[in-house]
Amino acid sequence: MNRLATFALLLAVASTATAEEADKKGLEFFEKHIRPVLVTQCYECHSVRSKEAKGKLLLDTRMGIRHGGESGPAVVPGDVDGSLLMEALRYESFEMPPAKQLPASVVADFAKWIEMGAPDPRDGKSALVRREIDIEEGRRFWAFQPVTAPEVPTDDTGWSRSDVDRFVHAKHAENGVEPVADATPTALVRRVYLDLVGLPPTPAQQDEYLNDPTPEKFAEIVDRLLASPRFGERWGRHWLDVVRYAESTGMERNFTYPHAWRYRDYVVDAFNADKPFDEFVREQIAGDLLPADSLEERTERITATGLLALGPKSLNERNREQFVMDVADEQIDVTTRAFLGVTVACARCHDHKFDPFPQRDYYALAGVFTSTNTFYGTGGGNGNRQVGQLLAVSAEGVSTVRTNGGGNGGKNKRAALAKQLKKARTRLETAKKQSAKNPGNKSIQKRLEVAETQVARLETQLAKVRRQERQAAGAEETGTKPVVLMGVRDGQPGDTTLRIRGEIDDRGDSVPRRFPQVVTRGHEPIGEGSGRLEYANWIVADDNPLTARVAANRIWSHLFGAGIVETVDNFGVNGGRPANAELLEHLAVRFRENGWSTKSTIREIVTSRTYQLAVAESVSASEVDPDNRLVWRANHRRLEAEVIRDATLQAAGTIDLEPAEASPVARVGDGNVGRGIDADRFATNSTKRSVYLPIVRNAVPESLAVFDFPEPSNISGRREVTTVPTQALYMLNSPFVLQQSSAMARRLLAEEMEDAERVELAYRLTVGRLPGTSERDRGLEFVALAAKGEMDRETAFAGLCQALIASAEFRYVE
Amino acid sequence: MNPLSRRSWLRHTSLGFGFTALAGLAHQEAVAAKPSFDNPLAPKEPHFPAKAKRVIFLCMRGGPTHVDTFDYKPDLEKYAGKSPGEVATEAGGLNGQKGRKLAPSIFPFQPRGESGLPISDAYPKLSEHADDLCLVNGAYTGIPNHPQALVQLHTGNFQFVRPSMGAWTLYGLGTESQELPGFITVKPPARLGGAQNYGSGFLPAVYQGTKIDDVRGGNGIGNISNGRFDEELQRKQIDLLQSMNRELAEKHAANSQLDGVIESYELAFRMQSAVPELLDLSSETSATLDAYGIGGDGDDFGRQCLLARRFAEAGVRFVELTHEGWDMHGNLKQKLTQNARATDGPIAALLADLKARGLFEETLVVWSGEFGRTPAVKKADGRDHNATGFTMWMAGGGVKGGIRHGATDPFGIAAVEDKFHVHDFHATALHLLGLDHTKLTYRYAGRDFRLTDVYGRVAHDVIG
Repeated sequence: MNRLATFALLLAVASTATAEEADKKGLEFFEKHIRPVLVTQCYECHSVRSKEAKGKLLLDTRMGIRHGGESGPAVVPGDVDGSLLMEALRYESFEMPPAKQLPASVVADFAKWIEMGAPDPRDGKSALVRREIDIEEGRRFWAFQPVTAPEVPTDDTGWSRSDVDRFVHAKHAENGVEPVADATPTALVRRVYLDLVGLPPTPAQQDEYLNDPTPEKFAEIVDRLLASPRFGERWGRHWLDVVRYAESTGMERNFTYPHAWRYRDYVVDAFNADKPFDEFVREQIAGDLLPADSLEERTERITATGLLALGPKSLNERNREQFVMDVADEQIDVTTRAFLGVTVACARCHDHKFDPFPQRDYYALAGVFTSTNTFYGTGGGNGNRQVGQLLAVSAEGVSTVRTNGGGNGGKNKRAALAKQLKKARTRLETAKKQSAKNPGNKSIQKRLEVAETQVARLETQLAKVRRQERQAAGAEETGTKPVVLMGVRDGQPGDTTLRIRGEIDDRGDSVPRRFPQVVTRGHEPIGEGSGRLEYANWIVADDNPLTARVAANRIWSHLFGAGIVETVDNFGVNGGRPANAELLEHLAVRFRENGWSTKSTIREIVTSRTYQLAVAESVSASEVDPDNRLVWRANHRRLEAEVIRDATLQAAGTIDLEPAEASPVARVGDGNVGRGIDADRFATNSTKRSVYLPIVRNAVPESLAVFDFPEPSNISGRREVTTVPTQALYMLNSPFVLQQSSAMARRLLAEEMEDAERVELAYRLTVGRLPGTSERDRGLEFVALAAKGEMDRETAFAGLCQALIASAEFRYVE
Repeated sequence: MNPLSRRSWLRHTSLGFGFTALAGLAHQEAVAAKPSFDNPLAPKEPHFPAKAKRVIFLCMRGGPTHVDTFDYKPDLEKYAGKSPGEVATEAGGLNGQKGRKLAPSIFPFQPRGESGLPISDAYPKLSEHADDLCLVNGAYTGIPNHPQALVQLHTGNFQFVRPSMGAWTLYGLGTESQELPGFITVKPPARLGGAQNYGSGFLPAVYQGTKIDDVRGGNGIGNISNGRFDEELQRKQIDLLQSMNRELAEKHAANSQLDGVIESYELAFRMQSAVPELLDLSSETSATLDAYGIGGDGDDFGRQCLLARRFAEAGVRFVELTHEGWDMHGNLKQKLTQNARATDGPIAALLADLKARGLFEETLVVWSGEFGRTPAVKKADGRDHNATGFTMWMAGGGVKGGIRHGATDPFGIAAVEDKFHVHDFHATALHLLGLDHTKLTYRYAGRDFRLTDVYGRVAHDVIG
């Protein structure tokens, strides 16, 4: 084999097989003669692990050795004399290794290796060439530049109605693009209802606008929708996507979070109350550290920190430190991407590849979270090696509690203890009898003692569980029961050490806690505690260039189907650039000026002419801007899964608009989903709004999953839109759609009207418009099948209603 | 048919695509008329000519013992009852394994086929295919916990939620079947990562696996049958629905998603008859059913294997089957005998069937657990988790048969030669499918991700 390979090498036939053979040979040579020398002689000073790469030269990757250091490439494949490494080994210019020249045979090996083309399997990605990140240079990137109020362009064409329009239309003019006509009142009223509250307008609500389609009426409707409790359910859900809200840990041991729903409700309430976004940020990162005037406020603020607790967790992890660092990593990821739109978590193992975040920035921030204790409260057992506690907030203060068992967990524990106790008592009785018969027998005496201890221990444990149950029940009755929450508190404050290549055990030096340098020029010093409050304050500080831009862009994205910056979660170098930079600046400035009010920003946008454009075609505009980045028309958007479900329920007249109390997950309680808890137990026939459906990782309800609900472990500011047959099957055959279309049919049949009117009503209830004549006739024709005895009238109408719900028009908004 | 005329055909004909399918247009012709809209599941060209068109992954959940099945270790016999440390010098520098004693294979090994590949008597029927098997004896993962190891086997990463291998494959190649999901997983475990093991992670949701939990009834896939209308009435309803959709598509000609909606209903309509037909094994001969062990010892896994062949024939890109119960800390002999009996016949039948139908060469069959089991034991008749070395095997799909790739130390404790990490498995499998694992990337959170992250090396030695 060896000889054959050598022979092949000599022939140097350019066939793939022999080239591969040669490669293999070369790599063998490297492994045998080159790598051992590099490792023993060079790595101490020239590798990622060395304290300081001397001469900025790294020899521990192929990329490093070829790229070289300050003096140039160390190895030029094929060129022995042109390779600086050879000069150094031969002691010609540099003298390496400095202690003693290597034997001539070793130097010859290196020459031979370079001649062979320096084959080298050491792929460089995990151990990248160290390059210094230039923070000053990094600050020149647009997203890290301070936000400045742009001058509002003038528009003397008369097209614009607002400043937003003037910014948009200036870009139209600049690019020679004509915007299309305004949307019809029918399309507009459906659009604004769906966008603001996630429910289509009822026929009466349609009529209200259609009878008076004026800007004044429109503004009045917008104000009413913004004031509706349905608004927070719609916009809160947008935020829950961003912060990867879910009610279980996901991962390999999927334990429930029975208390996560409180955070969900907090978010819905925050959007309904139009909580200033800066306060919203502060509460979610450091609500526990903020002052509170009342128990209610304290509870609310600690609930907000649930953001940091409800991420996915690998509970089966054996290594505590690994677990702690993984939790911190997830907290860094969610806070930097959700609020700042940057991917600092990429710098865990090495400096960020694209953005100016050195690895030290990551560990500076990690120290904040390793100084924080996270209370996520999962039940024990079942392979959970990282049981978490919860926070209990009451008038007496905040304390930590073990999970209360929730659902059946507690009862199971009591039953198990009772069973063990019964057995132990039997053993004790036996031992007593034996002892009475054989006084002085040592082994029996021993057995008796063991049994007595066991019984005593189990009695104490059982009494404790019973007491806890009584207390819980009693507290519930008297109203003094503490509110049990997921969240965080400060732990032992301290800096953490850099981990080389992100390896837990490979510690570098300690990194003082601070926040990514490129974003601002400093921040208040971290005081006594973890630094979370300072972190939150820094995120919403006046000179933070990212937060307001990212938040305003998210709002725009939800209203237009695409952000001004398309990559809503990434404003870094690899993200998109703003399609209209001045507009984004304007919105960011206005957002802050309006007291970080989400509702004001939405109002400003939806009352613009830009928002009210039609979904129309324009050959000339689409030649210039086929993707509509300049907003010369409205985008034809697929509705989110929640809206499709909610609109179905509304059309059927079955929707229950009362907010949910808690969650099916809370009722099921603690446990491991898929082992102990069957995922079917979260199934619900609830007709409440979709935001209240249980979001268990790896078990997302079908009605949501089928229409691209995002993976709830990922931070997703923008949803995918796919079109696949499983959606069609769901619309055609799922019990949900069948039931709801039957309910809708009964609703139509209960009306005192002609069938033609029923068909019209069915159209208005679903697609928000009247059918055309031929549409109406087709509908009637289908229903008339009933008269031919093919099916009963309810079934016939149900079939019609189902077709409308299944139609593309129903699931799209113009 | 050019895209434009197809579009107008779709929009204008009141019969639509479904009617032509109903009227008996051959499946192939239907496929040839490729959808013009940007269908994310449409077949895609690989990076380079592929050896394998599809994958059948036989997941042996729990960590099958390698030294009793596919990794022949005569030294275990020789040093039986000794601790690996005691014979370290002789055997090659093994230390540790305190309190463990080397335990020989439960079953004797025999040289099989022309290649003389050693396979134990646990697999008499599979052994008949020895010359087609590539025993990867140098496999390792380094994670001795079930959950993490299983998730890593499927997604390459247990720390974060990442797309599964099947999702990556579908993303890279699309699917050939217009009537079936492109990635099907049969009876996957609900725990140990659950849906993560066939999820799409950050990839679009269309690439996630479709789960079939029921291999006996015709209702393996959700929402496949209609409880309200018979086929004829449902067709009338769909015609009504499609007339609305066509009008909308006409109005918004720039929105190609609407063509996708129209198409999706026609596909769904076809799936309603195609899927139950495919899950219904009654058309198979009794000889076939017997060969797969259906009705006998291998009933459940036999059905799975037979379904896998039917899926492969129908153009499904990635099929995964699961056989549970390989975590044999105790009762090794009894459990291994039982599991081998339940899987040997079905797997052998699957390989034979694929060969008979000319599918074997283009189908990569992989057999693996999440790790192996300890050659040295603490108690008799039970082996523990061994992540430093185990065996997976591959067959078909361009894999070289009748060879052992890599090796563990003389006892089978750790992979020492041509070590084959799970990342290397992923890289190699993608390579066989014509995909370069370093180029199959998806941009998420500001960087390009891949199945193998920054790892993975293609084992060219296993490729025929």
